[in-house]
Amino acid sequence: MAEERSVSIEVVYRGIFQKTLAQRICRSVVLAARKRGHTGTAFARYGDSPERNGVPAKQFAVVAADELELEASMAKYEPSVVDVSIAVDDTLVKGVESWAWYGRQPIWKPVRANGWLLVTSDKKPDEVLAQTDKAERPYTLGIVPGGASFAGLWVYKDDHTDFRVLGALAKILPQWIALDDAKAASLELAKGDQSAVASVQYGYDATTMRRVKDGEGTSGHEVLQFKKPGWTKMRPGVIVEARKPGERNPYYKKYGARTMRPVVNFDTCIKCTMCWLDCPDECFEVTPEGHYEVVYEACIGCGICAQVCPVKDCIVMVDELKFTDNKDKWQLWKTDHSKYNSWFEDMSGVSADPKKGASGSVPPNANPAANAATNPGADPAANPTTSAGGDE
Amino acid sequence: MTTEIMPAQDLPQIKGVKDVPYDELFVSGHRTCQGCESALVMRHMVKASGPRTIVLGSTGCMYVANTTYYTTPWVVPWMHTQLGASGSAALGTAAGLKVLMRKGKLKNEKINVIAFCGDGGGADMGIGAISATLTHKDYNCLVLLYDNESYANTDIQLSSQTPYGAVTTFSPSGDKKRLMHTRWKKNVPGMLAAGHPESRYIAAGCAAYAVDLMNKIRKALELGGPTFVHTLDPCPKGWDYHPQYSQELGHLAVETGIWPLYEVVDGVCNLTGPTRQIAEGRKKRKPVYEYLKRQGRFAHFIDEDVEHFQAQVDKMWTDWLIPGVIPFTVPAKDVAILKIDKKPMHEQKTA
Ligand SMILES: Cc1ncc(C[n+]2csc(CCOP(=O)(O)OP(=O)(O)O)c2C)c(N)n1
Ligand code: SF4
Ligand code: SF4
Ligand code: SF4
Repeated sequence: MAEERSVSIEVVYRGIFQKTLAQRICRSVVLAARKRGHTGTAFARYGDSPERNGVPAKQFAVVAADELELEASMAKYEPSVVDVSIAVDDTLVKGVESWAWYGRQPIWKPVRANGWLLVTSDKKPDEVLAQTDKAERPYTLGIVPGGASFAGLWVYKDDHTDFRVLGALAKILPQWIALDDAKAASLELAKGDQSAVASVQYGYDATTMRRVKDGEGTSGHEVLQFKKPGWTKMRPGVIVEARKPGERNPYYKKYGARTMRPVVNFDTCIKCTMCWLDCPDECFEVTPEGHYEVVYEACIGCGICAQVCPVKDCIVMVDELKFTDNKDKWQLWKTDHSKYNSWFEDMSGVSADPKKGASGSVPPNANPAANAATNPGADPAANPTTSAGGDE
Repeated sequence: MTTEIMPAQDLPQIKGVKDVPYDELFVSGHRTCQGCESALVMRHMVKASGPRTIVLGSTGCMYVANTTYYTTPWVVPWMHTQLGASGSAALGTAAGLKVLMRKGKLKNEKINVIAFCGDGGGADMGIGAISATLTHKDYNCLVLLYDNESYANTDIQLSSQTPYGAVTTFSPSGDKKRLMHTRWKKNVPGMLAAGHPESRYIAAGCAAYAVDLMNKIRKALELGGPTFVHTLDPCPKGWDYHPQYSQELGHLAVETGIWPLYEVVDGVCNLTGPTRQIAEGRKKRKPVYEYLKRQGRFAHFIDEDVEHFQAQVDKMWTDWLIPGVIPFTVPAKDVAILKIDKKPMHEQKTA
């Protein structure tokens, strides 16, 4: 590796929620590399602006041995091959769909053979790999400990994800980012706060590596690729075919933008229609019984339905990584109540029978919506999806 | 020559949530943010107006995020309209339809025309065209201003609808100046209602009160002529809160009295929903702090800012001619003027 002249790193993140975080990671990489006498630059992908919250977006850092090398690497408006890809929310390993026509792409897509994929996650490498698309070339998966950090737009709540990631990078790219330099850079960025140095060291020590061979990973994710019409095929006046009533837009499915998804307890549902009425993404379909089932392909996981549902724990938001498909679930409830209910309990950690109270090991309000609503002062670390804004 | 007004569609008022039309005319597959209330406004807007509707959309989130790269969530005909041109587009389309029908080139039919715009496109750039449209009483069209209180699509710049003190990319909070933006939000529906006697319907709504909003849209379309509806739409991206709270913030905006719900029908102002209950003293206004503290864009506020905000809202409720709507007060010496004999001239008593 000693002869390499530049290194490129991308940060894949949830648009807006993690924009500041991605910026800080890219900047700290360059700052640390400069301390070694390298040069570098950090930039965002134009195509992701304007970002929409939740929708995957990318930022980059390129570090080079000298200005000439940097300019040569920067001639590409966005690197299509990177040495390291960093996903700051583990649900992104299910694939990335930032804008239409790209379709859903495997998270490892731009990672070069034998490159690295760093994922911040509380889960074990094998659990994360089980949700990552089947590898087409070998790479190393690194798990940087920590939940998804939803640092907000204007107010950055520092949880040191950036410093932990920097520590992990020092471990895999020591010739570009030396641990000492990473620490010095973090101290500078944190304005002298020594705990930043500890976070870099923690990222360095606690990041676990797992070699991923060709063919490892899941083939369970939907292929979602579209053919671009090209401007010569577009109808005059740029006319776009309207959708038919009852149809959903097949070109953009929202699940790639989701970190949580709702599960519904049809037994306790009082058919009030509120979830259907207030869902900004038109996800609910009425069943012959008058229940409302979620079409998971359309759900962006905002959590509004869980918030507006008047019945406690009737809609529970659940970590996206617990699911392996996007199939609607009402059919299962229809054909096998008890099987559905145990699925509901398993996913939500909430008893399907409200009289019984909580089930399993998960506390009763695993639902972050309910949690944050009833306990607005909750520890943000315990509830990483709490807005950065003003709750405290 | 008398101008002939086109007949409008019969759009009966929706009695409750169970009465809301089921069919979606704005379908899933738009790339708006998680928890985008403006998207919900689009959905409710066409749900209320029905399939025989033409929608025109001014540039902004609801154009860019809805119709990107050759794909669309619209089931009804929809056309992209220049930023600031919603008023002209509404009027032009209504006039065009009328002529085509008169000349027999189009089947004589009742078609709704709705042009929407953001607060940047409507309250700032497009206000002149909207104002002009509202004076042309012989054309049936509705302008809907969806207000996310910023130029959201271009990443949250200040608009005339941005609330006092809020942080935007153009008004960050700094060490020297905590509040970069200190103008009070422009009262668009109040101003349009006061200035456009030809418009039979002008209203302020919020998607958090979905039935109320849909009924306002229906009433606007049914009364005909040029009409205007303004909605307040919580925007998780620009207001900086977790998307799950969108509905709640809509409720809080109304319950704190910051965003009063009302309609002005043929010059008569009705307060609706909780706003009416507050005005009648059946419900207490919540402190504005309840609303402000939930949003990152106000996270830099200190007590003094909150107090100022509260005082301004209080003034809207206590000093205005109609609470939260018409910003006039009457000097004590002129209170009698309000009791002026309003009967027709020939019925008035002579002293
Ligand atoms: C005449 C013109 N000026 C500027 C732009 C760039 N532009 C595109 S969207 C937008 C923001 C519109 O803001 P608003 O009307 O509030 O709608 P929102 O994005 O908030 O939905 C701007 C300035 C444009 N498209 N046309
Ligand atoms: S979380 Fe609920 S409200 Fe949000 S998009 Fe999914 S189904 Fe709709
Ligand atoms: S909001 Fe809850 S109770 Fe009401 S219909 Fe939806 S799931 Fe059922
Ligand atoms: S920026 Fe705001 S208005 Fe625009 S799509 Fe996102 S939530 Fe909706």
